[in-house]
Parts: sequence; C-alpha cells; structure tokens
Amino acid sequence: MLKDKFFREIENKEHPNEKLIKTHCSYCGMQCGMNLRVDTSSNKIIGVEPRYDWPVTVGKMCPKGVTAYQQTNHKDRILKPLIRDDASKKGTKEGFREATWDEAYDLIVNNFKTLQKEYGKDSLSVFSGVSMTNEKCYLTGKFARVGLQTRYIDYNGRFCMSSAAGGFLRSFGVDRGSTLPWTDVHETDCLFIAGSNTAECHPTSMFRVWEVQNRGGYLIVVDPRETPVARRADIHLDLKPGTDLALANGILHLLIENGYADESFIQNHTNGFEETKELVKEFTPAYTSELTGIDEDKIIRAAEIYGKAPNAIVMFARGAEQQHKGVDNVSGYVNLALVTGKIGRPKAGIATFTGQGNGQGGREHGQKSDLLPGYRKITNPKHVEEICKVWGITPDEMPEPGVSAYEMFELMHNKTIRGLYLLCSNPAVSAPNLNFVREAMKNLDFMVCSDFYLSESAEFADVILPSVTWAEDEGTVTNLEGRIIKINQAQEPIGQSKPDWRMQIELAERLGRGQYFRHLTSAKDIGEEFRLATKGGNADYYGATWDKIDQQDGVFWPCKDEEDTGTPHMFLDKKFYHPDGKAKICALPYRPPAEEPCEEYPLRLTTGRVVYHYLSGNQTRRIPFLKDMCPDPYVEIHPELAKSYDLSHEEEVRLFTRRGEAIFTVKITEAIRKDTVFVPYHFGHEQSINLLTIAALDPMSRMPEYKACAAQIEKLGVKESI
Amino acid sequence: MGRKLFLELENCIGCRSCLAACTQCGGHDQRNRNYVLDVNPFVNRQTMPLMCLHCVNPACARSCPAQAIQIHETGAVLSALVEKCIGCQNCTISCPYGIPKFDVEQNLMYKCDLCIDRTKDDIPPMCASVCPSNTLQWLTEEEIAEKQQQHEMENGKWVTSMPYLESETNVKINLPGILQGKEKLF
Repeated sequence: MLKDKFFREIENKEHPNEKLIKTHCSYCGMQCGMNLRVDTSSNKIIGVEPRYDWPVTVGKMCPKGVTAYQQTNHKDRILKPLIRDDASKKGTKEGFREATWDEAYDLIVNNFKTLQKEYGKDSLSVFSGVSMTNEKCYLTGKFARVGLQTRYIDYNGRFCMSSAAGGFLRSFGVDRGSTLPWTDVHETDCLFIAGSNTAECHPTSMFRVWEVQNRGGYLIVVDPRETPVARRADIHLDLKPGTDLALANGILHLLIENGYADESFIQNHTNGFEETKELVKEFTPAYTSELTGIDEDKIIRAAEIYGKAPNAIVMFARGAEQQHKGVDNVSGYVNLALVTGKIGRPKAGIATFTGQGNGQGGREHGQKSDLLPGYRKITNPKHVEEICKVWGITPDEMPEPGVSAYEMFELMHNKTIRGLYLLCSNPAVSAPNLNFVREAMKNLDFMVCSDFYLSESAEFADVILPSVTWAEDEGTVTNLEGRIIKINQAQEPIGQSKPDWRMQIELAERLGRGQYFRHLTSAKDIGEEFRLATKGGNADYYGATWDKIDQQDGVFWPCKDEEDTGTPHMFLDKKFYHPDGKAKICALPYRPPAEEPCEEYPLRLTTGRVVYHYLSGNQTRRIPFLKDMCPDPYVEIHPELAKSYDLSHEEEVRLFTRRGEAIFTVKITEAIRKDTVFVPYHFGHEQSINLLTIAALDPMSRMPEYKACAAQIEKLGVKESI
Repeated sequence: MGRKLFLELENCIGCRSCLAACTQCGGHDQRNRNYVLDVNPFVNRQTMPLMCLHCVNPACARSCPAQAIQIHETGAVLSALVEKCIGCQNCTISCPYGIPKFDVEQNLMYKCDLCIDRTKDDIPPMCASVCPSNTLQWLTEEEIAEKQQQHEMENGKWVTSMPYLESETNVKINLPGILQGKEKLF
C-alpha cells in the first residue's frame, strides 16, 4: 500500500551465516526501515542492510541509522544492576558497585515505601521518555498511577512535541502529527517548512523535499540559519529566533488581503475567522519585517507562492515549537492551511517533524501528567472511568493530574518530590537551565535510573537498572506520519539487562501491586491490553493488531476495529474533532521571546541538532563514526559578528547568559544571522548548552523556550604563541 | 541491463551517510572508501561527495606496475588485489580525483569497488542505497539519459552535465545547477 515512484523491488544482499531481521531505526520520528544483520552462530547483531521494501524510506538511512546497530553490543553497556552506597558521590560516575537484581529491587522498594509512608504517595515521581515502544510508554503510565500510586509522572516529550500537540488540539481537536502520509510530501506543489533543519534532523525526508523542486514546485524555508535545506530553498525566510508568530500572522494577513482565503471552506468547516482577520490586519509586511527581521519582499513573495499553490503542505518542527509561545506558533502556521482550505485532501495539509522515535505514540497513551491512554484526559471523569475498567481500579484510586517535566524539577528542589524513577531520558543534558535541574536531581532523597549506558543523568542515581536497546525487545512505535509500525527483536538481551516493562512488572509485584500487572508476561500481552485501553479514545489503536501492522506496512491511527484499515489521510470528510466538527482558526496576539537581547546580553542564542547526534547524545556520542564526525559542540557565528568581537575560526570563547556559561570553539559561517549564535545541544557536563538556556514555559504546553534567549560572548585571553 | 551510479551533486546535504554505509559492505573491512567535501564552509553549507567515478580507462590501473587493480566486467574498477599490490602508491598519485587510499600498516591500496559483491547482482551499492537526499542514485542507462536530457540546452551542451570530466567514466554526474532554467508549475 502507498507505494510510490521511489519504491523499487530490490532483493537484499544476504551474507553467508547471517539472517536479516526487519525492523526500524532506534532514533528519530522518521523510523526508517532497516534490516539488522544477525550472525547465526553467535546470534549477535553485526551490521545493517537497507530495507528497500519499507514504503516511507525505501532503504534510505542517515549516518545515525546506518550505525545504530553498534549500540547493542557496545562496550559501554551496563550489564548488571549498579548500586551506589555513598550519596556524596552523586553527580559523578564514581562509587557504583555491581549488585543482583534482588538486591537492587529490595533497595528500591524499601526506599520507595519509606518515602511514601513518611511523605505521602506523591513524594515519588516518574520521568520517562518516548524513544521507546508504545507498549513501554503505556505501561510506564500505568506503573506510575497504579504501581506507585503517584500523580507525578511526566516525560521528555515536554521538551520536544508538546507544543505541536497543544497547537493541533486547539486547531483541530485532535493531535496527529501529520494529516497525511509521507508518500504525499513529494507530490505537493509547495512545501512551507518552518523551524526544521530537515536535512540534519530528518534526513530521509530530503529526497521527497527535493523532488518537489525537481517537479517545478516551490520550497519555502523559515530558519534563522541557512541550513542545508534552506540553502536550496526558493525563498529562505531568515527570521530572528522566537518571532515565528509574527511571520505566521503576517503571511496570513497577506493571504486574506490578496484573495487567497477559501470563503466556502472557512464558512462550512471553521470557526474564528473574522476575529483572526481583524487581529492580523496589524501585521503588514512592514510591521512583520520589523518584528522578524526578514525582508518585506521575501514575506510578500512567500505568501504569494503559498496562496497560489494548488496544493501545499505546511511543516514545522522544534524551531517554532520550542518557544514560550510554541503552541501559538503551531496554531499560527496551521491557520495558513485553514484559511486557504489547503487541508483535508491528499497532497495538502499540515505536518510536524516528530523528534523522537515514538514522539507521536508516546505522547498519546498516558505518560503525560494529565493524559490517559487513547488521548484521554485524567480530568474527565468519563475518561477516567473507561481506563479504570481496563486497569481494574476504582476512579477514586486514580491520582490527580501532576505537573510538567520542568516543573517536576522545581518540586524536587522544594522537596515536594523526594524520589525519582527515571527511564529513557537524560534530562541532565536535555532539560533547560541545567544548573537548576542538576541541583534538583542531587537534592533527591532517592533516585533510580534505568538506562543501557551510564548517562549524565544516571550519575545522579542511587540505583541504576540495566535496560535493553531497542533491538533486544519488540513492540510498536508510531512514526511521524501517525503510522503504527512494528519493532522486532534481533537479539536476546545481553548480560543481565531487561526491558523496562519487565522491571516495572517485577517492581509492582514487590510493591504489593502485582495483581494489576502479573497477567502481563510479554510485550505482546501489554500490546493487547494497550489496544483495549485506547479503544474509544481519540487516538484509537484498537484495530491495529500486530498482524495487521505486518500485512499493511503499518497502520495509521485512528483504527477502530478489525475491518478498519486505518486512516492515512486525516479530515478527508472535512470533519474536525471539535464537538461541532469544525476546525478553529486562532486569533493569536504576538508576544516576543521571554528574554529579548539587551545591552548586557546583546545576542540571540538558539540551539539545535547536528546530523550526527540524537537528543542528549548518550547513544550517538559512543558510536565511533558519529563521534569522529562531531566530537564536540561549537558556537556558530557570522563573520561580521566574529569580527566585532575580534574572534577567529576555531578560537575558544566563553558564552554566557543570566543562567550559566560554557566554553565553546568558534565556527565561523555566513550561513547564520548576524545577531544570532547557534550551539548544538547533544553534549554533557560542562559542554551542555542547556546550562545557558531559559526555562520560560509555554502556558499551554509547558514547553521551555530553548530556541531563543539573550546571550553574550567573551573573548578569552590570547594564548601566547611559543 | 545493469544499472550505474549517478551523482546529482546539487542534492547533497553533507550527512555523510554514504561514508558510514560504505563500511557495511561485505568486502570493505569496515573502512570507508570515499569522501564528502565542504565546498565553501565559511560561506554556506554546500557539500559534495567525491566518489570513485570508475573510469573506462582508469589512470590508477594504467599506472599500476603490478597489475593489482582489476576491472570487473561491469566496469567497476576494483580495489587492489592483496597478493599483487606492492604498495608503490602510483595509483594514489595518478588518479585525477585522489580516490585510492593507502593503508600504511598493510602496505596496501584500497578504494571503492562499487560494492562489487552487491552490484554484480544489480543490488545497489551501499552508498546509493542509503543516500537520504538522492545525491547518489542507482539508475538504468535510460534513466540517466532522461536525467541528463532535462538539462540539455539547444546548443547540445548540458547545463549541468558533461559527457565526462577528465575522461570517460562509468559513474555519471550532474553538476550543481539542476534547478537553473527549471520550468515552475505555477
């Protein structure tokens, strides 16, 4: 199904004494298809072979994908539980000793029970992630609320996808990251890509992006930097970091002014147009240009192209979303499609580039502080009742909503939260304002970390539990299209490592909550209960059985029952998910970034990824090829800016903000705004740019403003040449 | 008939996936054999792969005093035969593109063999299999002709394609500029 012009029947190369296991990459939301090569005598993963028959990526992989297999049998794997008895060594790698699972579990259960007895159930917290299967994400939510009985659970999607989720919910009433399958992308006539360094962060989208131009279509890219995708764009809108909403309003104003609004679509399928039209009137090209720093001509031309395009797709990513108005930016960009009616049909719509492997599925099923499986709300009594039936608890046993990821660290600071179970995440690198966050983790009475490598966050733990890599477990993941796919096991877990779901079931048993978990003995069992728990929710996976996923090359949610083949295109019937079936065009007053440049901190600091690393770099910094290609962070500076500070290429400088400082090597390039500096965020300890970033949170999504804050550079003392 | 490697340099995004994938080929001993260059790093992010072009009359093989560089029937110019290579490095000097690499410890030249254990069976080489931007493609002669025709001008000269650069090669190239003169949809 959905095989397109890029799809070709190609037989795989099979080497003697090897078998190929079909699966997907461990990293980003593209979830590229791959075959893992397994040696049939040692039963170990030894390499990778393209998966030509995967319709989304047809064998293509980025350098992270090609080398992903090297994670599993890596020398840095943690093979046994580790315990640290000396709490004074917290925040370092020192002091851990190997232990048995029983000893580790006993220590955890004793500490958890003591804390809860003394300070209440909510003194414990769970901080999780979405680079893991739906089955694990689902069980983690259940484990927190039923196993630990705490309200405090949240996850690293708050640092990634929560603004997209908030924007989609407000505009459409449903949060599916893409309204269309990726096989539509190259067939559209105009791509409007905002705040996405697509070529580095989702490289395997690029052959489709270029194909739009090869067909004579247009590419518009919004980014403060001339990224590899912006380099070839027809129009590069080089905005100041943190000003997306002004641009979205400005373009919307021009679309309406110049007659590109689809009156009948607006009339029949949307609310909020008149109010929005009034609000955006102020955003003339001149005013928009003043706010964003983009030339007026380019704004006018971009609006004209998008308006004229028979079909267009608006796409965005963290550049627009990781702001304290991220939700408004998302709804602002969605407005473009709703006002012009370029949505609800093939080749036209909206998509966000999901950052984490299961950023879509992982946010739908109950790891978020206020959500339950199937995108149900924990504040909705009917929703709570539906999930209680599946879990076998009564509604009064369901904890209250908790707080968002960053706010959990605030509660650790003031000792409301005293214990932490951290899994699948590395907030000691990825959270903003790291001096505060690291202090919060150090301040905990007791911390458990589950990981397969000793991450920077694991350095704060009392107990480390060895988990497995993605290739040692199975389950489903929902990719950036909203397509549910299957991850297959290629190798048995090495050492004494275990999948997180097994740890949670075993811990629940020891916590006296085994009755709610012991019927689950495999990932598949969890998958079955998970499907049932989503039944009837907005994100309905009930019909997405593992068999159907295999047969159909994935299943797009919603998929409600056995007959349902899923929903590749959303809103084809022009029905949105708000009660009246209409989408909402949002009137969004502009707000500048929380921290604007000033005399003391005159520069705009923005952060992002490089193609060689993923998230906090805990995995990719250990892979030799990727480490060789990008061993250290750097600060990108325009030559004119560098000149004004008397800086030269590869010189070390001190970069600082109101929150922190770090030393970086200067990388000079004209491919960035003159008022902006950029640092990649994948690095730990004193190399983390998040020591400097600001924790200004979006009021709806609680997303921190990673993408814009005020900074200053100091030239370090000139080294004497010898 | 068999396909050929085709390079569309304009597409390159500098991810170096081709280099990572190169190590995955059965005969490649985990070593990558090609290059990706930053064209003008202080100015922009343009990059380009520098791959063996598998010359029809390869300078590397011609300059080899030991006949260690064999040409496969598909046209692929193979890596030096371990038993014949004398480590003189003539090939690394004679190649106009600087492709052959030299392993000092083994005293052995190694280079791109176009993943011969794959391409002999018309399975695409690893680099073209994984290339996320379609800079590297594995195409039939007809597909390549069609690609190049798109950039042909009335005077018979391609805008971005040349019949060959130094001398005739099995790998075909479209130089940057493929979007020049592109007729827009609207």
